[in-house]
Amino acid sequence: MRRPFSLLACLMAVAVANSAFAAERLVIVPGAIHFRTLDDVESLMLLKMDDSGVATADLSEAAAWTVAPADLARIEPGPVLIPRKKGEGTLTAVSTNGEKVSVALKVSAEPARRAWSYENHVVPVMTRAGCNSGPCHGAMAGKGGMRLSLRGYAPETDHDVLTRQAGGRRIQPGVPEESLAMWKATGAVPHGGGTRLIAGSRDYRVLADWIAAGAPGLKQGTPKVVRLEASPARARYESGKTGRITVRAIYSDGNTEDVTGWARFGTTDSTVLAVDDDGRLKAENPGEAHVTVVYANQVTTAAVSVPNPAKVDPALFAKASVVNKIDELNLVKLKALGLPPSPDAGDAAWLRRVTLDLTGQLPDVERLNAFVADADPAKRGKEVERLLATPESIDYWAYQWSDLLLVSSNKLATPAMWAFYGFVRDSVAENKPWDRFVREIVTARGSTLAEGAGNFFAIHRDPTDLTETTSVAFLGLSLTCVRCHNHPMEKWTQDQYYGFASLLGRVGLKDGDATGEVVVSDRPSGEIMHPRRGVPMPPQPLDAPALAQSDPRNRREALADWMTAPENPLFAKAIVNRVWKKFFGSGLVADEDDLKATTPPWDADLLDRLVADFKADGYDMRRLITTIATSAVYARSSVPLPQNRGDTRYLSRFVPRRLSAEVLLDVYSQATDVPTPFDGFPEKWRAMQLPDTKVADGFLRAFGRPERLTTCSCERSNEPSVAQALNLANGESLNQKLRAEKGIVRRWATADMSDEALTDALFLRALSRRPTAAEKANLVASLKSSSAQATTEQARKDARTAAVEDLFWAVLTSDEFLFNH
Amino acid sequence: MIRLDAHRKVQLCDGMSRRDFLHAGALPMLGLGLNEAMAAQNQAVSGPADMNCILLFLVGAPSQIDCWDMKPDAPAEIRGPFKPIESNVPGVFVSEIFPKLATMMDKVALVRSTYHQATAIHDTGYQMMQTGRLFGPGIEHPHYGSTLAWHKGPKGDAPPYVLLPKPIGATGGNLPHGHSAGYLGKTYDPFILNADPNAPDFKVPDLLPPDYITAVRSERRRSMRKAIDGQLDAFEASAEAKLLDTNFQQAYAIMSSAKTRDAFDLKKEPESVRDRYGRTRFGQSCLMARRLVEAGVRFVTVNMFETVFNEVTWDIHGSSPFTSIEGLKDEVAPNFDQAYTALLEDLYQRGLLSNTMVLGFGEFGRTPKINPAGGRDHHPGVWTSLFAGGPFKGGTVVGESDEIGGSPKTRPVSTGEIAATVYEGLGLGLDLGMELRGPGNRPIRLVENGVEPIRELFT
Repeated sequence: MRRPFSLLACLMAVAVANSAFAAERLVIVPGAIHFRTLDDVESLMLLKMDDSGVATADLSEAAAWTVAPADLARIEPGPVLIPRKKGEGTLTAVSTNGEKVSVALKVSAEPARRAWSYENHVVPVMTRAGCNSGPCHGAMAGKGGMRLSLRGYAPETDHDVLTRQAGGRRIQPGVPEESLAMWKATGAVPHGGGTRLIAGSRDYRVLADWIAAGAPGLKQGTPKVVRLEASPARARYESGKTGRITVRAIYSDGNTEDVTGWARFGTTDSTVLAVDDDGRLKAENPGEAHVTVVYANQVTTAAVSVPNPAKVDPALFAKASVVNKIDELNLVKLKALGLPPSPDAGDAAWLRRVTLDLTGQLPDVERLNAFVADADPAKRGKEVERLLATPESIDYWAYQWSDLLLVSSNKLATPAMWAFYGFVRDSVAENKPWDRFVREIVTARGSTLAEGAGNFFAIHRDPTDLTETTSVAFLGLSLTCVRCHNHPMEKWTQDQYYGFASLLGRVGLKDGDATGEVVVSDRPSGEIMHPRRGVPMPPQPLDAPALAQSDPRNRREALADWMTAPENPLFAKAIVNRVWKKFFGSGLVADEDDLKATTPPWDADLLDRLVADFKADGYDMRRLITTIATSAVYARSSVPLPQNRGDTRYLSRFVPRRLSAEVLLDVYSQATDVPTPFDGFPEKWRAMQLPDTKVADGFLRAFGRPERLTTCSCERSNEPSVAQALNLANGESLNQKLRAEKGIVRRWATADMSDEALTDALFLRALSRRPTAAEKANLVASLKSSSAQATTEQARKDARTAAVEDLFWAVLTSDEFLFNH
Repeated sequence: MIRLDAHRKVQLCDGMSRRDFLHAGALPMLGLGLNEAMAAQNQAVSGPADMNCILLFLVGAPSQIDCWDMKPDAPAEIRGPFKPIESNVPGVFVSEIFPKLATMMDKVALVRSTYHQATAIHDTGYQMMQTGRLFGPGIEHPHYGSTLAWHKGPKGDAPPYVLLPKPIGATGGNLPHGHSAGYLGKTYDPFILNADPNAPDFKVPDLLPPDYITAVRSERRRSMRKAIDGQLDAFEASAEAKLLDTNFQQAYAIMSSAKTRDAFDLKKEPESVRDRYGRTRFGQSCLMARRLVEAGVRFVTVNMFETVFNEVTWDIHGSSPFTSIEGLKDEVAPNFDQAYTALLEDLYQRGLLSNTMVLGFGEFGRTPKINPAGGRDHHPGVWTSLFAGGPFKGGTVVGESDEIGGSPKTRPVSTGEIAATVYEGLGLGLDLGMELRGPGNRPIRLVENGVEPIRELFT
């Protein structure tokens, strides 16, 4: 994924096409063809490419393909090129409008036949045919008496099953065509799974040749597939157009091979892009999606965008403001998709937005007025800096990381919970670099009351829970599937899981003397067994060498070193994506807890750039937050333009987000000047200051506060519901704040304030704007009519107080208040 | 909670009391009903013979072999510890752990050949058994209840689809569970109780306004809220904001209807009835489901458990934290036997069983071979689904599993056929080709082309 064009660039045959788009060229993929044996094949494509290497049309099927000399190779539907005899020549494609491209073609045919490898060919052929899939022989209990590992994750066991079990009847090396396995697969004898292979097909021959060669098993030194390359890596196809993805496997010995016919294909969004089993795709609705490709436990993706067909005035892009790199990269994406950006939201709307997102509070009116009046062009950056230093902001971010780390009294005694929270909050207060923060947790030792970070281990006592939580929380990687078998859709293997688990396999926990105290240590021995192999795996970080026996570091130190090393591909990406999501409601990778290779970010260039800078800046959290919060993208209006109305992903406008449970309760306290009482906490304590989610509150529960039981962003729900509407209408939380004797509502209602002034003041206080003329006219009329029928002075006062309460209620339950927008 | 106004008489400035509010559902000024909020998409299918449905989701996945498809002649490592008992339908046997059910099998039909072919994790089964389909990338199919709500809209002020007591929590796979409206839009999501009806202090949170908020004030609040529209266009384009407004309308409809409010109040039931259902979360949820159907709710889903991890469920792996096969007889089976039979009996006695389907679904079956921990693991190869009430023929058995209860022997029934059967029963099935609107307004059939209801189940 890091090098999408490397191979393509050197393989591509280019002809500058004589088309209306001077920058577009026709190319044949692959750009040079060399058949080493007569058993090889090449999937062919004729693509139209723009000057940035993006395919804009797939002309393969309609083109006329010829080989010269004609008997060198033949073209089959696909199109696929099949070698026939030794020699050299050219392959030519002529598009329907007569443009012509050629590439060199060589067939060395030495040796003429190929020795198929068990792990690189036989297992993939069986996987592609579905033999080892979940519903068939890959089921836990097997099928019809034969059990293979799910999608071939245990090839050594499968080899035994194929060659030795059932009295060795499954294969007949002397007469491969009469092997039971071949009969079953072709449906020559009754087979519950029906016909999976066509007799005589290439896949059939792979199996037959392998059986004839004596059905060799895993062999030391067999080249491994080290990565895949999908072509085209990037494409932009108009809605309704079709195309294809071809796949090459790159082996550890440098050889490459067309594996299009054996790979498995998927789409990340079937509403944008449909993909079939052969890698043929159809552009559906405007947007962007990825084709996912899996082969031999490797994964790659190809990005396909379907542009918005509406014509967009280029001036809309030209006048968009650019503050930093986020804006530059986002505009590239928006242009490609034909989505113009909404204009800046304006100072007042921006200040409300950023104050909520950095502190969980509303801007007060004096600050609002001063900020709007300030002529300093650098005022937004200064404001972000000022906000980040406030205690409210420290509480806010400590709360975010407490969610991630499950700080609560669910599993910790109260003193331990406070110690853990104290560690988190102190770290935020000193802007501890993220790598150091995580290192202190992962390598924590000693009393959990003295060193609060160690409570991470007191919460996750089960080794698999510890392994999976460490991975999700700090690497954004969900390994749960891999506990029991290789990941069916990702590259992670069960061996890797237990190698990783071994890094955490020697954590020692002993109860200390004080309440809630646990002493964390590193035991000199102890292992986690690999359940299938029955032995422990050597401690090994993911995609990195195993720890040497002589390694002087203890295992957790080695884990921390690997996680926080600049080469680690996941550590910084995971946290950058989490922070991004807090500002925009969805991550650059949508699922912040599972940064799968098969769900790439919607803007990989942007994420890569942010990650690189975050590392270069020493994992400086405040700097990352500042970059995002001061960007022009973050400052865009939430009001849609006609052309970007449908966009909820690419940030052409700001997408309104409902305030989180805790923030909403806190801003109700702030707007009414009536704090929320929390049992066991001092007066005026805010929800964002709570170290524990076990503190009872019906409002917080109804609005989706997470329980902090498992590390999963899914624990928090910000979705509106009927229960929330009922709570706002009838619940005690808001209504008691509106009625409190000392609250702002009563104070204003009984003060000498005109209806007009009161309405203005309320709008500024709650919504950071003045009412429109129509709003004011309506609301003031409603206030005035409330006491029209009162006959006594007391009745008039009471009526007005009730009406002012109702006005507050209306403003504080409006969309505009409930959402950050 | 301490009431600030408890010490003094509340002056009701606009002359209406709480009692007035309780009757205000009849007042035209509050008469904004659910119908306005949730317009039915297809009035044509709505008829006088509206069919209701209660789906009991048996979270964790009951073991076919130990419950409703026993294999007494299989080897010991298959057949398990329980004995079959003959039910009141001659020739139909169920496990001895369901003594009450055995006396009522004339009301229950069994499909012993249900299977699915997706990954053997809980999540896929929830999706397929509640929507008929496995979800794809970018596509979440709607629950039966949401589809029904979308087609028929609400009856009166009752929400058309209610989920009790809570959505199924995390079960390991991290995939959606299929309880929601998916691409039909959140307007058709269920009303979720989010409370335990068996708790001593149970009440639906905030169903009634406090007494100081009179009907007149409530109406003023609503009209003032509507007047705040300075950022209208930003929110018009926001699905979440639109949903919030729909939520407010639904909330008002529910709170202004005494009938709907009462349906949630189990104190209105005699103690003997509450006892008959069993004093468990599941039992009291079943009772509430009956009350909701009486009040006009079309579809109620009752999740028997909240997850498979923190409580003893049907997920009998044997190893900690799960229970074993033996363990079924202690809690889970008696709880189900009590509540399920109470529900059928109660609906029957009230004449509601004929227009209320009662479905009992698990997400898959269990492995025939008992594992070393004395449990059984996930096995979508075959399991048993329960159909009762409505148009279903009690006492029927459809399909058979093989000798060891490992895969269907006759009449295999896919989850698509289960969905077709539910839709047919709900009266949407006259034309199963009826279409939903998917992402990008794409037409999507209720069930895949060629998938038919299980006709043998229908009277």
